[in-house]
Amino acid sequence: MMNQDNFMVIKTILDWVNVFFVIYLIGYSSFLFLAVVVGSSELYNKRHKEELKNTLLQNYYVPISIIVPAYNEEVTVVETVKSLLSLEYTLYEIIVVDDGSKDTTSQKLIEAFDMKPIRRPIHRKISCQPEEFVYESVSEKVPLTLIRKKNGGKADSLNMGINACKYPYFICMDADSVLQYDSLTKISRPLLEQGNIVAVGGVVRPANSVTLDQGRVLNYQLPSNILACMQVLEYDRSFLASRILFDKFNGSLIISGAFGLFKKDTVIAAGGYDHSTMGEDMELVVKLHEYCAMNEIPYCIKYATDAICWSQAPERLRDLCKQRKRWHLGLFQSMWKHRVMLFNAKFGAVSFVSFFYFLLYELLSPFIEIFGVVTMVTAFIFDLINIPFMFLFFAIYAVFGCILTLTAFFARTQTIDLKISVMDALKAILLCFIEITFLRFIMAFVRATAFIGYKKKKLNWGRIERKKINVK
Amino acid sequence: MKVEILIYAYLAVCVSMILFNIVCIFVFRRKDKNIKKRSIDFTDIIEEQLDKQTVDETHKSFLRKKLKKINHMMAFDETLEKLYDRRPEDTQKYIANLCSVFVFLTFKYSEKNQIQAAYFPYIIKKYHVFKGVSIPIVQESLMELVKEQNLYCRENALQALYSIGGADSVIQALKTLDKAGSFHHGKMIADGLLCFSGPIDELSEKLWMNFNKFSIALKQAILDYFRFSSGRHSEKMLQLMIDDKENQELRFSAIRYFAKYHHEPAQAHLYSLATDDSPIWEYRAIAASALGNYPAEKTEILLKELLCDPNWHVRYNAADSLERLGVRYEEMIDIFEGRDRYAAEMLRYRFDRKKLKDTEGMPV
Repeated sequence: MMNQDNFMVIKTILDWVNVFFVIYLIGYSSFLFLAVVVGSSELYNKRHKEELKNTLLQNYYVPISIIVPAYNEEVTVVETVKSLLSLEYTLYEIIVVDDGSKDTTSQKLIEAFDMKPIRRPIHRKISCQPEEFVYESVSEKVPLTLIRKKNGGKADSLNMGINACKYPYFICMDADSVLQYDSLTKISRPLLEQGNIVAVGGVVRPANSVTLDQGRVLNYQLPSNILACMQVLEYDRSFLASRILFDKFNGSLIISGAFGLFKKDTVIAAGGYDHSTMGEDMELVVKLHEYCAMNEIPYCIKYATDAICWSQAPERLRDLCKQRKRWHLGLFQSMWKHRVMLFNAKFGAVSFVSFFYFLLYELLSPFIEIFGVVTMVTAFIFDLINIPFMFLFFAIYAVFGCILTLTAFFARTQTIDLKISVMDALKAILLCFIEITFLRFIMAFVRATAFIGYKKKKLNWGRIERKKINVK
Repeated sequence: MKVEILIYAYLAVCVSMILFNIVCIFVFRRKDKNIKKRSIDFTDIIEEQLDKQTVDETHKSFLRKKLKKINHMMAFDETLEKLYDRRPEDTQKYIANLCSVFVFLTFKYSEKNQIQAAYFPYIIKKYHVFKGVSIPIVQESLMELVKEQNLYCRENALQALYSIGGADSVIQALKTLDKAGSFHHGKMIADGLLCFSGPIDELSEKLWMNFNKFSIALKQAILDYFRFSSGRHSEKMLQLMIDDKENQELRFSAIRYFAKYHHEPAQAHLYSLATDDSPIWEYRAIAASALGNYPAEKTEILLKELLCDPNWHVRYNAADSLERLGVRYEEMIDIFEGRDRYAAEMLRYRFDRKKLKDTEGMPV
């Protein structure tokens, strides 16, 4: 039997843990609330502005190079390049970097676009693995280049692309994604609207069950796969809303590797993509913050809510777990590498809001959530928990989360004229509960265990099953 | 308990967000329907005027009353767009008769918030409402918009001024913009000036007359405009290019001008810029590129030397220019077989690429 003293110690500890969790959850809920309110109102405001022609209507453009790093992408790469060729934009080039694929990625491209070998000198401004061969096609509407290089990872391939590209801005994207027809116009618009922009993030949307024709959405519906469907909702709540909020104070720390635009000179000066991290996309953005702030270069990183890239969301739990583990490790590596930014006045709001948020509610959240479950079990064992209150608390938390998710979801669909069926609306309402109550906890566990076997998989491409996007 | 109060507060927030969502859905649907309905009403009324080939005063006062409301203006815009497709000439005549209505609306829209105010110059530009007509009150109002913080107010106002076509008012607008100090991308200014609907020579002359009154960023945009518009600015550009006290970005712009327009007197200066041994490699690189437009034996010799330049961009541009000058493989044999591997690599790439383009039948 436990004596009274020990019991009191446990009770005191649990009381303090309770206080911590109440503060933690209030902090998170408040952030989420703020993000969804700011995000939704921004989307509604944007729609209002567009209705009243508060938008750039002329065909202004900046030349852009699109870099497509590819590793074993024979299933999707040709469709991806075809979709890039149908983009509505005046001046751009496409550079596919084959990172020593073991399949026929290069051959598929060479045949599909009648590419010819050429000895092209590449200006090495950032280090990367050497090229094995270069092919070019001059018969397409824009220059298309294929560079096959020795395997070195995604970051290395992007660095090769940066070295080879000729325009002052480049876009990085995944070889299994499709850019919407107007995505280049939309992602480059902030460059014309504001000075000192070094990077612009685009929106990545799950393309499962969406039919695209020449980069235009022919048919939009929620994915039939439940897991993919829940990711659509999660993307709207967590990514779209929070990134709009961070954007308000130049605090974005992530630009998705699937679609982002960068100023080439600044990226080169900052050292390019880091080969040694898994989350090279986040690492680059954090590095740009650090580089510009340290060198007192005025800069701005923006988020374009209407520049859209369609990408396949994992439909199998195993693939989703792999993806999330990878993201979590990338987050850890980036934050550790740039830990100087935490609580550092030199970085302003990026340090005290964005970096702190990512530390507490992204990097440490799976551990905190699992610790919460362990505490609950302990409290239950010692009969120190008010069960009805706990259920009420969780029920309200779940309802709150669901409503925020649905607000973000409906704000997005309404403001960009995507018509959704009543069935899809009901599906969204039902699945957001499952996402909040189940998937979130599974993902917390997955992320908490991401560090197991970390060294072994540190630099691989993190393959998930590839499926073609439904393109007509 | 405090925690419970917080929980109930969050519940209240949840309920308000549900209400917010529902209200938004209904507001959007109603707004769209109303605009469509108003547009149908406008169509009947305007077609009546188009048939009569005149615009009567009753109709004008009807428009004055209605169009001061933004939702009616949006419906009017939608109607005119459709009528333009069906009866372009009649619609243009109809709009030309509405000057007095739009002068009245200028006052009304200048009192609105910036988002709504930006819509009015958009309409002026879209339907060329005041084309060739100088109305001081309208221009003053547009000039006020050019000072605004909102980019679209500034841009739509500039577009409206370009469409009206008065050179003096455009110059004044550029000065106002410069003075306001808000960021306005040079590309938008250069491309915008290309849309100017008035006498281009007069505009160019006035731009040069006021050139020194503008900021460097604006000067650069104006030089870009000259480069895109015509080759009639060679003399002034040459003065700019050879003035070594001038801002280097402006001198770069001037060199780029001669890459597009051949001007014999510039050739010797381009040679000296291409051999410039200052640490600013951009002079050599841009001059190397411009020399592709100046075929001569001396040009080829110089470009061959530039192929061995330590700077990658200079070598690249020199190779590109040699390709554009149409030099043959045999003439370059000394480079291909020479000791400078980088020069040979760069040139080989240009030659291979030209061959590739020739095979594909593409213009080089």
